[in-house]
Amino acid sequence: MRAYELLKETFCRKLYILIVHLSWLALYGMFYWLTLPDAGEISGFGRFIFIWGGFFLALALSAGIFGDDISSGRICVLVTKPFPSGELYIYRLLGLSLQAAVHFVLAWFVIFILHVLMGKGSMDNLGLWLFASWLLFNTCAALSTSLSVVVGRAYNALLLLVVFVTGFFVVSWLMNTTQQQAETGVLFSFIKYACPPFELLSKFASGEYGKYSLTVGRFSLTKSVACVVHSLILTVVYSIVGIVLLSRRQFSRVCD
Amino acid sequence: MRNKINVWTFTTIAALVLEGWALYVVGSSPAHWRPSMIVKDEPAAHALYEKMIETIRQAESLSYQSVCSGPGAKYRSSTYEILLKKPNYFHVEMSNFMSGYTTLVGDGDNLWFYWKGIRPFSAYEDRDSYEKTRENIYIKKAIPIGRYSIKDQINMFGMVWFGIILDPSTFHGHRDSLEAYIDGIRSRGTDYVNNEECEVLEVSFMKAQQTRYYWIAKKEHLPRKIKEIVRLANNIVEVEEFSDIKINPRIQEQKFTWSPPEGWQQWEKPGPDDFLLKPGTKAPDFELLSVDGGTIKLSDYQGKAIWLYIWQCGSPACREEISHLQAFYENHKEKGSVILGFNCADDKRIAQYFIRENTITFPSIFDSSNAAKKVITDGYKNRSGMVPLSYIIDTQGNVVDSWYGYDEDHKRASAALKKAGMQLE
Repeated sequence: MRAYELLKETFCRKLYILIVHLSWLALYGMFYWLTLPDAGEISGFGRFIFIWGGFFLALALSAGIFGDDISSGRICVLVTKPFPSGELYIYRLLGLSLQAAVHFVLAWFVIFILHVLMGKGSMDNLGLWLFASWLLFNTCAALSTSLSVVVGRAYNALLLLVVFVTGFFVVSWLMNTTQQQAETGVLFSFIKYACPPFELLSKFASGEYGKYSLTVGRFSLTKSVACVVHSLILTVVYSIVGIVLLSRRQFSRVCD
Repeated sequence: MRNKINVWTFTTIAALVLEGWALYVVGSSPAHWRPSMIVKDEPAAHALYEKMIETIRQAESLSYQSVCSGPGAKYRSSTYEILLKKPNYFHVEMSNFMSGYTTLVGDGDNLWFYWKGIRPFSAYEDRDSYEKTRENIYIKKAIPIGRYSIKDQINMFGMVWFGIILDPSTFHGHRDSLEAYIDGIRSRGTDYVNNEECEVLEVSFMKAQQTRYYWIAKKEHLPRKIKEIVRLANNIVEVEEFSDIKINPRIQEQKFTWSPPEGWQQWEKPGPDDFLLKPGTKAPDFELLSVDGGTIKLSDYQGKAIWLYIWQCGSPACREEISHLQAFYENHKEKGSVILGFNCADDKRIAQYFIRENTITFPSIFDSSNAAKKVITDGYKNRSGMVPLSYIIDTQGNVVDSWYGYDEDHKRASAALKKAGMQLE
């Protein structure tokens, strides 16, 4: 019961969460309708869902997930019930993850209906793109939730957005100016493996570990599995950081 | 309490092992070239490869459909309907979402190249000439048996479609120019393509600058799928998939004949040379990365006759010429001339390996940045991307001569360098 209430709270805590879900679904539908050519492919649309659903949705849903309670002092009530802080964190993250899973299933139906009604585009690989988006959502949501423990109100999402946008431009600039140099290789590896796996998951979803992989045989499937495993482990690592931070913080009953 | 610690310890170790495995698998991607990618020859696999070529050549007629595609660009995938007949007949229909329909007909003596409707824009022509020649035109060329390549004819157009990997001219006895550069062939086990059991072969060319995987059907030793990886600054992957393969089918004779309808005109396609900088033009200056990590500026060589040699490791002609260039450089470097190598396409590791292997000492630019590519495509007007491309630049920095291809006896280069200011005896 307690678990159910905590999971439900992640959806009901703010009215705008429902609006976010609905507007995101409408956005997918509009993008599909407007941009997909008749004999088109799903890859461009897949990338759109991947970024909007995997990254921006995670930021929107996790904004202030702990920061709001900490700022208002409500967190003291939650952790003194007694409520193990680890459990609180896990159920909240699980709540976000479940919301996202339902969101992506609904997205599939929206696209399917548009596809049938308009006879546009293709459904090939859409499932894989949605699965990759859900995995990315989990890592981004875990990172954002952990950040929410130490950043007041809803600024965790804003901070992550700024960091990622800055990171994106810095990496693009580095890739253009220092191509193929060993020093930047270490930095790129760090970004690739320690940060949310944007590149790995988009390659996984676009089939680069399949038909067009640089290898042949069963290794391609193994690589897809490894990609999923790495993404899930990253989610766990980010979550553990958040749980540790939450359990070590002393909360005051006074509002910020 | 102790049990709890044990569970946590076990879980942590398991997670670390799992993550270690995942990183190993994800990180061990052959995204970057390594010497270990050069395949060592296995006689059994090599024999199977030869058997495939022999099966193609022994047929009296052959028909198949192939679809060529690459990652993230499904709309660019191209479909080829291919009919081949001995001694020198062929009919190839290409279709592509972007480029429409193109037909090649070999009537035994000539190749006819024509389009249904409007022809697509070629990489090296200007818009004005395209507007004048986009409809009701055809190309006619002589096709000596075994000495022409259908694949080259298709690729020379530089369209937006994916070109074929297996040259249909193999059937007529043409040898792929890459065959001389095979490092080795090895077996990669068996696999199924459309429920057909296939042997998978890995063939590496030019010290693994290119790798091809062949799925060869056990049934009649013809390919069902080929994957080609070209290792440039970025890897280029293309897949050709075969279907509806028929050996010795009956093909209607009229498929191999074509004559231009009334009002159609023969089109002389502009060559890539037409766009190169003309003699007397100022050679664009640049400052780019050199092979040793420093920078090279063209204007630093002012006062010398410069042979700017634009090359790639993956070009057989470049590989052939570059060792002779080194000898030429050794013999002429004291005579007021310099050879300046320019490579903006290759993976740096492959290029460095090649340079070391051929003991190249003349100054070389290795820069795969967009700025370097722009110098070549916009500055030096290499719109086709073909290599080798040579520019001879005089002591004042003006272009004296330019040409594509391997100047075997260096006569043209010597004459141009002399004109550019080099002291030749």
